[in-house]
Amino acid sequence: MASPVLLQRWRGCVVPLLLLAAAEWCLHGVQSDALAPPTRVLASLWEGLRDGTLLGASAQTLLAAVGGLAIGGGLGLLMGLWLGLARHAAAAAALSVELLRPLPSMALAPIALLVFGFGYRLELFVVAFTCFFPMLLLTQAAVRSVEPRLLEVAQVLALSVGERAAKIVLPAALPRVFVAFRLSVGIALVVAVTTEIATNPQGLGYALIAAQQALAPERMLALLVWVGLLGWGLSAGLLALERRWFRQGAPA
Amino acid sequence: MKTGAATSRMQLVQSMGDGITPGAKPALPLIVFDKVALDFGARRVINALSFEMKRGEFVCVVGPSGCGKTTLLRLLTGLVKPSGGEVRRDGHPVAGPARDVAIVFQDYAKALLPWRTVAGNVSLALEAARIPKSERPARIAALLQKVGLAAHADKFPTQLSGGMQQRLQIARCLAQEPALLLMDEPFGALDAMTRQSLQDEMLQLVREAGTTVLFITHDLEEAIYLGDTVLALRANPGEESSLARSFEVKLPRPRNQLTTREDAEFLRLRRLAFDYLQEHH
Repeated sequence: MASPVLLQRWRGCVVPLLLLAAAEWCLHGVQSDALAPPTRVLASLWEGLRDGTLLGASAQTLLAAVGGLAIGGGLGLLMGLWLGLARHAAAAAALSVELLRPLPSMALAPIALLVFGFGYRLELFVVAFTCFFPMLLLTQAAVRSVEPRLLEVAQVLALSVGERAAKIVLPAALPRVFVAFRLSVGIALVVAVTTEIATNPQGLGYALIAAQQALAPERMLALLVWVGLLGWGLSAGLLALERRWFRQGAPA
Repeated sequence: MKTGAATSRMQLVQSMGDGITPGAKPALPLIVFDKVALDFGARRVINALSFEMKRGEFVCVVGPSGCGKTTLLRLLTGLVKPSGGEVRRDGHPVAGPARDVAIVFQDYAKALLPWRTVAGNVSLALEAARIPKSERPARIAALLQKVGLAAHADKFPTQLSGGMQQRLQIARCLAQEPALLLMDEPFGALDAMTRQSLQDEMLQLVREAGTTVLFITHDLEEAIYLGDTVLALRANPGEESSLARSFEVKLPRPRNQLTTREDAEFLRLRRLAFDYLQEHH
């Protein structure tokens, strides 16, 4: 007999498992270019993990995603700090940001391809461009929402601009900046895979396209599951870090 | 009552305590408000405000909301510049924040750094004063001992009660070793029991250090209980002076929550001030 707590914890798994079982039953022995039974997908996933192709492609995609995030997110963070602290700079930059931000980053891929050619640089550029704006805007908002009383305390203590940034503004804004970072990680992964599907012949996205063109639905679906797991793992890991680091005294 | 008369009356007020006034020139008042005026846009918030604060004096300010009580503190930190007249400290116009002018805010929860521990919050003031890292722990321990938070050094502000958070803010202000301590309704948000014990502890701490205090409050009894002088401000001064009246408080120190509040002089002053405020507001 399962205890009620255990039952509750696993209740969420009931529907997916039933769906998987139903898919297995329906697709067993069916010849399709788009679908495959879960067991074959799982087998393909295992195969990919064993022969290293999956891990190699993952490394390429993650490198582009993390690298692009570091460049775009880093610049966005600095720019956001600056615009959050300096009203005049924010007013001057507002129109440019509003014009550039809605650009679908994938629309830049063709131009980036001409400039950079195939490879990491193309993908890094597209990911960096995409991550730049959420980091910029959320950091700017985080800095703006620092408790005014704390800034007054800093003034009364006659802290220098540098001390004010390092001791008051940054720590106060950090929890929100980390949320922005966590969201950007998700965006970076999506955009990296999308760039690979659309333009750049490397990584998990390209492997997906290759599987599609080879009419290997089980490989395609295995990649899909793998990308999903990667995204979920990253997001869960970062969320755990966030809880651990900012549990204490995160300003509301 | 005219401004000049109020000023001269206050000059008569004797310095409290043992008579030892810090500073080389005891005759020179620490703070002088000289016909200070302040406009917010078209509205004149403070008009023709003149008073002096001697070294070691405890001055309380009462008045209705919107009479510019908090603005008074900002004028003293130099964060706000007067529209007319002059605020002088040691004979020189106040230009900007000084490290030996500390403010205790009413909203202690917002004024503390939630990501720093109790010790870390006190440390902020020492860091601002460029105290070497090696000297900080001893100083922090001594300050926390003074305000009764020694056992809570490693806690975060959110883990403390309201009264303890306010003690912490006071400790941080004392870490600045202030010549002038500004308190903006510091106990307004606390329950009656906590308020009384904090009043007494604070009085003792500032007496020991010889600190000059400007204390803003809504509570007339609190003002009389704590102060050497009580200034009553008026809202919307128009052509009149913002300083409606000043009361000297000649109650013996140390004050006592029971005997002082039962003292005939306390009751007389309370009556006087209440009647005055009722007539004028």
